[in-house]
Amino acid sequence: MGAGSSASLLSSLVKREMQSRYAGSALGAFWAYVQPLLTVAVYFLVFDVVFAMRMGEHAPTERVGTYLVVGALPWLAFADGVSRGASSLVDSAGILQKNALPPVLFVIRSVLASWLAFMPIMVLLAVLYGFITGHWRAIAALPILLLLQLVLCYLCGHVLAILTAATRDTTQVLGFALGVGIFLSPVLFPLSLFPVDWQWALYLNPMSAWVLAYQSVMLSGLWPGLYLWGIMGLWLALLAGVLVWLNRNSREELVDWL
Amino acid sequence: MSASPQVSLQVSGLGKCYGVYARPQQRLRRLLTGAAAPQQHWSLKDVSFDLHKGQCLGVIGDNGAGKSTLLKLLAGSLQPSKGQVLRTGRLTAILELGAGFHPEFTGRDNLHFAGGFMGFSAFDMQQLTPSILDFAELGEAIDRPLKTYSSGMVVRLAFALVTAVQPEVLIIDEALAVGDQHFQKKCVERIDSFRRNGCTILFCSHSLYHVRQLCDQVLWLDKGLVRGLGRTEEIITAYETHVRLQDVSAPPEGAVTQVYAQTDKPAAEATPKEPVLVVKEGQRAVQATIVQASMEGLIVPAYGDRPTLQTTDVRLSLRVVTPDRQPPSLGFMLEQFKGVGIMSLATHAEGVAPTAVAHQPGRSEWLMHLSLPDFPLHSGTYVWSFYLFDAQGLVVCDEWKDHIVFDWISPSLTPGLVRLPHVWG
Repeated sequence: MGAGSSASLLSSLVKREMQSRYAGSALGAFWAYVQPLLTVAVYFLVFDVVFAMRMGEHAPTERVGTYLVVGALPWLAFADGVSRGASSLVDSAGILQKNALPPVLFVIRSVLASWLAFMPIMVLLAVLYGFITGHWRAIAALPILLLLQLVLCYLCGHVLAILTAATRDTTQVLGFALGVGIFLSPVLFPLSLFPVDWQWALYLNPMSAWVLAYQSVMLSGLWPGLYLWGIMGLWLALLAGVLVWLNRNSREELVDWL
Repeated sequence: MSASPQVSLQVSGLGKCYGVYARPQQRLRRLLTGAAAPQQHWSLKDVSFDLHKGQCLGVIGDNGAGKSTLLKLLAGSLQPSKGQVLRTGRLTAILELGAGFHPEFTGRDNLHFAGGFMGFSAFDMQQLTPSILDFAELGEAIDRPLKTYSSGMVVRLAFALVTAVQPEVLIIDEALAVGDQHFQKKCVERIDSFRRNGCTILFCSHSLYHVRQLCDQVLWLDKGLVRGLGRTEEIITAYETHVRLQDVSAPPEGAVTQVYAQTDKPAAEATPKEPVLVVKEGQRAVQATIVQASMEGLIVPAYGDRPTLQTTDVRLSLRVVTPDRQPPSLGFMLEQFKGVGIMSLATHAEGVAPTAVAHQPGRSEWLMHLSLPDFPLHSGTYVWSFYLFDAQGLVVCDEWKDHIVFDWISPSLTPGLVRLPHVWG
């Protein structure tokens, strides 16, 4: 299959994935945007309007809702993309076993469909924060971060999809990891609240570097520090290596395992 | 990859090995360490053949012989463990119709989407859609969600899509048995027209009749290995012997003693089969069925299980109904009971046609007599089977297999099976 026809097939796969998730509902694909939008609205309403909670001294912002949204939205996008990516191959077993199509298309389809649902809201949020804070220079880093997050979701999703094909236990472990992972990240609590000796543990969660980068861009108005780019690069390289290895060991049998 | 121009499909040393994993942990270990599977099962081993443009290869074999694996390897949905497949041009596989359709979307949406899997662009699909819709005969239903379709409608849509463009190589897995008779006939005709236009076909079926009709070469697979490859008649005869030997070594229980008699119903069925009414294009039409098959001169004994033929002149009659006025082809097959086949006759092959008994709108009744004067067989137990085909003898509309079983005591006392026409001196 040529690159051109792969791209056109991928675009139709993504479109269909977004439609089929909400097929039979009156609002259709609109739901994909409504869900995260409502989550964001609730955070603002509860923490900043109703309770008007304030952060501690060293936090990058003092409003709790404002702080939470910047980390929670990318985290939701990550969790959604990774879990959809992880189940993408098993879910497409019927199609893969009957058509001569490369499995990678279906991983990309799921991850991309999820990312496309979250991205407009991230952009909307960035514009909103831009007007409030005026950190436009730093916000220019956002497209790069979003793209790198897409790559991260794809790599995690594909690795997990192959693991899920080999053993379905992966789904259970992933559900637990995503539930707990949010605590092992600066999404809910600012970095300053974590004991200094244990802060390294946060980076065991691949999303921590991204969350810190988003917070730096949108709350502090600073380009993410070099060390954050470094950690992101390390995670991407590590996952790419693992993916190549798993692919090598499973290429021949993958479709049989589904 | 492509083969030389005259060869459409070149298969060399093709093999597929499945890893057998008792527990998921073993699969995980294979994945993480790259270690080999604990046990390996070769479901296909060392298959090689060349198919030239316009050839039609039948693939036969028992269940589990590796037929489906071979077809999937050729279609590219399975990765071979060994060997390679070279081919020229577009390859279409009719493996499982309708896989990948989504029930919530309309027929039209599904069509465009599934077209993408086959490598058609949106523009191609726009061009092809009218002819696909025309062939599938779904009418306005095409814009309704797929979940409102009957299974036959889904299959019609899928078949129309996959055969919308004539491929260089067509792979068919038992797909001829789709939809109602009217549609089956269209399917067979379309495949036949592909064949006449030079399409290379690989056809996998349990229906030896269809393999004989369509294929000029046959590949016989047995436990993943090639047991025979060559001219249709040669290989099928060998395969039939193999099946018969299997049957002899493991006789079906209980089924035998009821299979006799000169009744109006198929022996295998408890109640007579009424011609089923189907509604087609607003007009009531019957399905093509056999309604009566009989043999004269059979005496049912007071005790014992089988009737005996009491005359040397055998006369059979076969009565069928069809939905249209086109004379169908009727088939008669005589076999040794639980033994070899002796002869088969089909009216279309012999240039005769059954007589019309009655014509009504949507229902025609036909009758054919067959006489075998001076029955030339030696003593034994024999069985008649009856078939109803379409006019060209391609679609089997109905079959009454092993319908009349009878004993025959020949006046001749010399050993043998049949007294062939002969001349002395």
